[in-house]
Amino acid sequence: MTRLSLAIPSKGRLKEKSEEWLASAGFPVTQIGGERGYQAEIAGLGDVEMRLLSAREIAQGLVDGSLHAGVTGEDLLHDLAPVGESDFHVLKRLGFGGADVIVAVPQAWVDVDTMSDLEAAGAAFRKAHHRRLRVATKYMRLTRRFFAARSVGEYRLVESAGATEAAPTTGSADVIVDITSTGATLKANGLKILSDGLILKSEAVFAASPGAVWSPEARASLEVLFAGAAIKGKELLEKI
Amino acid sequence: MTHSAIVKAARSRFEGSGAELVDPAYILPSDIPLELSGEAVRARLCVFTDHRGNEMVMRPDLTLPVAGMEAERLASGTNGPKAYCYAAEAFRLPAASEDPMEFTQVGFEWFGRDSGPVEDAEAFALVHEAVRACGVVPEAVAMGDLAVFPAFIDALGLPRVTADLLKRAFRQEGGVRALVEAAPVPIEADLVPTLEAATPEEAEAAFRAALAERGIPLIGTRSVSEIIAGLRARAAALAAGGVPDTVRDVIGALASVNCTASEAADQLDAIAARYSLSRTSAAIERVARRMELIREMLPELKAICRFRSGFGRRFTYYDGFLFETLGPNLTERQPIASGGRYDGLVSGLSNGKANATAIGGVVRPDRVLRAKGRGA
Repeated sequence: MTRLSLAIPSKGRLKEKSEEWLASAGFPVTQIGGERGYQAEIAGLGDVEMRLLSAREIAQGLVDGSLHAGVTGEDLLHDLAPVGESDFHVLKRLGFGGADVIVAVPQAWVDVDTMSDLEAAGAAFRKAHHRRLRVATKYMRLTRRFFAARSVGEYRLVESAGATEAAPTTGSADVIVDITSTGATLKANGLKILSDGLILKSEAVFAASPGAVWSPEARASLEVLFAGAAIKGKELLEKI
Repeated sequence: MTHSAIVKAARSRFEGSGAELVDPAYILPSDIPLELSGEAVRARLCVFTDHRGNEMVMRPDLTLPVAGMEAERLASGTNGPKAYCYAAEAFRLPAASEDPMEFTQVGFEWFGRDSGPVEDAEAFALVHEAVRACGVVPEAVAMGDLAVFPAFIDALGLPRVTADLLKRAFRQEGGVRALVEAAPVPIEADLVPTLEAATPEEAEAAFRAALAERGIPLIGTRSVSEIIAGLRARAAALAAGGVPDTVRDVIGALASVNCTASEAADQLDAIAARYSLSRTSAAIERVARRMELIREMLPELKAICRFRSGFGRRFTYYDGFLFETLGPNLTERQPIASGGRYDGLVSGLSNGKANATAIGGVVRPDRVLRAKGRGA
C-alpha cells in the first residue's frame, strides 16, 4: 500500500456531493465501466487508488487502516471505532449528509423524557418482565458508550438491519437509536426524541486513517489534496 | 516457577480448603451475562453466533458458570453450603493490548455460608495464601465495599424511585452526578386525572383518554399500568422536591473516602455522624470488623491495603466486599488476584428461583508470572 488509497461513497447523494467537492477542489473523479462500475480514477493527485465503497465500508477501512483517506459519515466512524476518536482523524467536515443520531421512545411513554427516566423505566420493566428493555439500533458501539456515560444500564441491544423506527410498532424493541434529519419519520411512527438523547450531530467528513501505512508517496498525494481543497491545519497532516 | 507450577500451587491451596474441583461449560448463551449485567459488559465479551443464529459467549470468568451450577443444584432441591474450585480458561477481549484473550483463572467460590465480616476475611485470606504459595509478594491491595453506598442512600430517607436510581447510577460509568443535579419535571395538566383517579381501572381509562386526545398511538411492550406507575414515581419525586442538597454533600463526602483500609470505618463513621445517618452503622461496623480480622490473619498485608468507597462500582455482579491485589511489573488494571462478594448472583441467574450467599476469589497465573519477572 504505497500509493494513496482513497474512497468515496458508491451511490446516492453522498456520492454526488463527494464528487462535487473533489471536482471543485480540482480533482474530478471518473468512473470506470460507466455509472454502475465500482472502480474509478481521480485526476490531479498522481498515482492514486480511487475506490467507490459503501459509507460503512469506508469508515471500517479508515478505522482498520486498509484505506488511507476517504469521505464517510461521522456517525459510522464513531460507531466502528473500537476505542473512540483516536481511531480516525477528521480532516474536514463537508457540510452535507447532516443528520442526528438520537435516542427515541414511544410518545405514549409520558413518564420518560430523559435518559434517567429511561433507566428508571428499564429497571421497572426488568422486574415486571424478567428481561431487559430492548434497544434497536445499527449503532451498537455508539449506543453502548452513550448509555454508559449517561448511567443507563437497564437495556439490551438488538442489532437492526433496517427500518429501525418500526421496531417499537412491531414489538422487536421498545427504544431505538437511529439517525434522523427532520424527525418526521419518528413522529409518523409514534416516537419522540429524549430531551437529552442527542448522541451525535453527524455530517459527511473527509477523514484519514492513523492506522494505515503511510508511504511518502501516499502522504504527498494527500498534501496535494489538502492544498487543492484548502483544508486548513497543517498539524492535521502531521498527526498522520 | 512455570505457569503450570503456579496453577498447581494455587489450585492445591483451594482444593485443600475442601472445595470440589469443577470445569463447567465453556460456552454460555449471551443472555446470561447480558441480561444479568447489561450491555456495558459486552465490550469485553467474546461473542459469536451459533448455527441457528443465537448469540453465544465464551465464559468471561468462571464465577458465572459455577454460580449457574450452584443455582441448578439448589433448584434440584439440594440444600446446604457448597464450595467449588477451579483452574480453568476464561476468555475476554483485552483491555490492554498486552493482555491475552484466553487466560487461566485459579479460584474458588463459596455458596450458602453466613454472609458476614468473618467469611469476607476468610475468603480474602485464602486468596492470599494462594498468592504466597505462588511465591509472589503483593505490592498493593485495593479494597471496597459496594454495600456502603446503598446503605448511605437508604439512610437518607429519599423517595424509593430516587434512591433506586441513585444506587443503580452509582454502578454505571457516568455515575450519579447528572441525577443529583436534575430538576424534577412537573406533571402535564392532561395527565393529572390519571394520577388522581380512584381505582386502577379509572386511571387506565383517564390515561387512554389523554393519549387519544393527544393523538398518540399506544405502541411498545410496556403496559399501560407500567407507564402509569412510572408517572406516579415521577410525581413522588416531584413532591419530594428533587434531590436535596444534603444528598449531594453526602455523596461528595463518600466519594472522597480514599485511605488506608484501617482508617476506612472511622472516615465513614465521621460522615454518618456529620449528617446524622445512624442507619449506616451495620454497614460501617462490617467494614471495621472485616479489616480487624484481616489485620490479624495477614499482618504482613495491613500496610498495603487501601480502601476507596467507589472502588469496583463498575464490577458487575459484586454487591459487597471486593478487592484487587497488585504485583510488580503490572498496571493497576492487571491485578494478580481479585475477589469479592456477590450474594445476589445466584438469585439473579435463576430469576429468584434459588438463593445463596456467595463469595469467591481468583489468582491469575499469567500475571503472577509477569509479576515475578524473568528468571523467577
